[in-house]
Amino acid sequence: MAEAHQEGSGSGVDFDLSQFYQIFFEEAGENLDLMEQMLLSLNLETADDEELNGIFRCAHSVKGGAATFGFSDVAELTHQMESLLDRLRRHELQPNAAMVDVLLESADASRGLLARHQAGGEGDSPPTADLVRRISVLASGNVAPPQASVVSSQQMSTPVTTPATVAVQPVIVAQAADKPLKTTRSLEIRIGPLDHPEQADAIKELFRDIPGLGEITALTSNQADTRVFAVETSSSDEDLLDLFAFHVSRAQVAIKELDDVAAVPEHGDGIFDSAVGSPKMVSYDDDPPPGAPLAPLPGFGFFDGAPGAPNPSAGMTVGAVVGSTGSAVPAKAAAKPAASVVQPEAATIRVAISKVDQLINLVGELVITQAMLAQNSRALDPALYQQLLTGLTDLDRNTRDLQESVMSIRMIPMSIVFSRFPRMLRDLANKLGKKVDFVTQGESTELDKGLVEKITDPLTHLVRNSCDHGIEMPADRVRAGKSETGTITLSAAHQGGSIVIEVRDDGHGMSREKILAKARERGMDVSDQMPDSEVWMLIFAPGFSTAEVVTDVSGRGVGMDVVKRNIAALNGTVEIDSAEGYGMKVSIRLPLTLAIMDGMSVGVGNEVYILPLSSVVESFQVKSDAVSTVGQGAQLVKVRDEYMPVIELEKVFQVPRFDPEKSSDIMVVIEADGCRVALLVDELLGQQQVVVKNLESNYRKVPNISGATILGDGKVALILDTGALVRRSRH
Amino acid sequence: MGVMGKIGETISAGAREYLTFRLDREEYGIDILKVQEIRGYEPPTRIANAPNFIKGVVNLRGTIVPIVDMRLKFNCSKVEYNSFTVVIILNLHNRIVGIVVDSVSDVMELPAESLKAAPDVDSVIDSDAVLGLGSLGDRMLILLDIEKLMSGLDMALAPDVV
Repeated sequence: MAEAHQEGSGSGVDFDLSQFYQIFFEEAGENLDLMEQMLLSLNLETADDEELNGIFRCAHSVKGGAATFGFSDVAELTHQMESLLDRLRRHELQPNAAMVDVLLESADASRGLLARHQAGGEGDSPPTADLVRRISVLASGNVAPPQASVVSSQQMSTPVTTPATVAVQPVIVAQAADKPLKTTRSLEIRIGPLDHPEQADAIKELFRDIPGLGEITALTSNQADTRVFAVETSSSDEDLLDLFAFHVSRAQVAIKELDDVAAVPEHGDGIFDSAVGSPKMVSYDDDPPPGAPLAPLPGFGFFDGAPGAPNPSAGMTVGAVVGSTGSAVPAKAAAKPAASVVQPEAATIRVAISKVDQLINLVGELVITQAMLAQNSRALDPALYQQLLTGLTDLDRNTRDLQESVMSIRMIPMSIVFSRFPRMLRDLANKLGKKVDFVTQGESTELDKGLVEKITDPLTHLVRNSCDHGIEMPADRVRAGKSETGTITLSAAHQGGSIVIEVRDDGHGMSREKILAKARERGMDVSDQMPDSEVWMLIFAPGFSTAEVVTDVSGRGVGMDVVKRNIAALNGTVEIDSAEGYGMKVSIRLPLTLAIMDGMSVGVGNEVYILPLSSVVESFQVKSDAVSTVGQGAQLVKVRDEYMPVIELEKVFQVPRFDPEKSSDIMVVIEADGCRVALLVDELLGQQQVVVKNLESNYRKVPNISGATILGDGKVALILDTGALVRRSRH
Repeated sequence: MGVMGKIGETISAGAREYLTFRLDREEYGIDILKVQEIRGYEPPTRIANAPNFIKGVVNLRGTIVPIVDMRLKFNCSKVEYNSFTVVIILNLHNRIVGIVVDSVSDVMELPAESLKAAPDVDSVIDSDAVLGLGSLGDRMLILLDIEKLMSGLDMALAPDVV
């Protein structure tokens, strides 16, 4: 179809579509994601028109775009999906689980096809013939043959095509094309009046290129500027009009059902009822601009600058997106004027992250400047400088608001992460033969975009673990007196300056004895008196597979140690709570953003250093006799029952001493990589949120320092790299 | 390529403009286009185990900028920090570095042909980093290739100049 489009209109339109490819890929991806979400939330018994229309729109948009840009395989598959969805939304068919399955698989396949196009068309394309056939079977109202789903599940697990499938593919396509399974209708289609009647001939190519669309025969017309065709098709009028819109304006097409002549206006001057309300077509119809390219452009609403064709909806969308690259969006908007539901207008813009970061940096500077101003103005006499001080108070409030709003730009809701799990769990539960309900809470909790990307993998692992190892088989659950269906809950909530994400399941939990036994087997130092919380933390030890401990099912993907390491890299912490027989809960606590960290400032000599609060365990005043030395070198301090190496920050950082009398006597215990060391410092200055700055951007990596920050007085303070300090103590 | 680039091109055809500064009793000049701004000296935050001429880092409107004391680098006999001590903020290969000098004197234009090659002398300054010598009446001006100087091994501030 798309090739036909390019042939048909290429002579008059010399612009490069490839510049819009990226936008199309992004949009198609979003549409497929949206469709998947809606399919999953679709209630089969009481599916309402709104939902079905929404799903249909997604498939339709992808199809329209794919056809425009010449990705005929995507267009074909999505066209089939659209046909099925069209029958669903017209209530000609009742939605069922098989349809949802096949549509989900088709969405996956479309993604695969699109990814292949995006990569420049290299590699084997995923087989779609079977999907196309299954959709058309379902669309015809029959029940899908069971063996078809077996084939497709194999395809899903192994996206690389096997030679056997490739060999079968053309045969199936031919079948699908030769034997349309849908009910066919006989139509008379009249196109005109046209300046160039040859344009209409392009629609014959549509029928040739799209398998299953139907048969077309040209009839002789009594008017020179009009073409008439007899068509046998199973597609709806709306579909045909959409297809024809690539070549001729919709307003110029009249479709007459031969079986039911009375339903159609007899005069063939081409006003199709549902298209009358569309302003852009009327204006073009009346007065075709002289020397205009071919009809498809204005008819398709492709350029907002098309003469005499103001398209309000397209114009709005273009304004929101970057002007010259927005064409795919109006294409989408114009391609479905008949959809009765008004779509909310696009309220988002795409902006490069670097621009946002720059904004955040600038606001950070503004906040520091404001703090300095506030500090310096404190000494002023309020009576004399009333106006100045009022102004400064306003400035204070405004900068705070500004900082909050700017920081919120980078924040995206957790629903972006959560939305991928229903699908994953559905597939996983099916594969394992388990019944799992997935509940999410606090999807609107917002998190820094950078963190969201990095938290997705650990979360995926935890959710998978819960389903794989946590939830029992339905029969076992019934035996344990629980309901057959297990529940996995994923929740997110703000707590203070951090976000807490919890993965809970009501499975069989972890066994304390098994973990302890396993730990002993591995030669780890454990005792039966360990508190539960410490026992659970053992599973984070490298190579300590939860699978071996908790279930006999083999573990998959990264181990829990990797999960912990990934989260620690984000300055986050993990905690586990479990009750054998009742389930377990993994809590992840993360800072709201990577750019801001909770820090503890400590004084050493006259200098200030910042410790990440997440790695601080405790602090205490030490008596001189609590410190003992080993071999006249390394110092150890006894904290309760544990000897910890002591690191004197004064020596590590060669802090100059001005009063040799004073000696440090405060220790801060930090933990990193599972080891604890005590840092000897002069004083604890307090806790504060600090903006993390990079030292390397203008200088270079400094040993034992992870970054720098700017204190309230404008001075720079260095942030300690606790991981490096702990490693240092080992050597 | 903005206005700065255009200025750079027109000047390189004939003369270049140099910012001149003093270190003890010597006068140096550096390409003015590398200079971002000039500030008073404020005590930086010391960085442990750095060479002595790297005084530390300061906060320049939210950016962490390392400060190099040229007087220590060039072994000047007298190093004082007072209200006249000046920091020249340089922008080298998108890295921002501050250098401490005794004072900034002038901005002057020197035609390329008036530069004389520096004779090979034993000096703390790598001879590669000296562009040439200029004359200001009876005073001598040492023109530095500040990028080369800063990318020297012990500095490791700016990436190597190719």
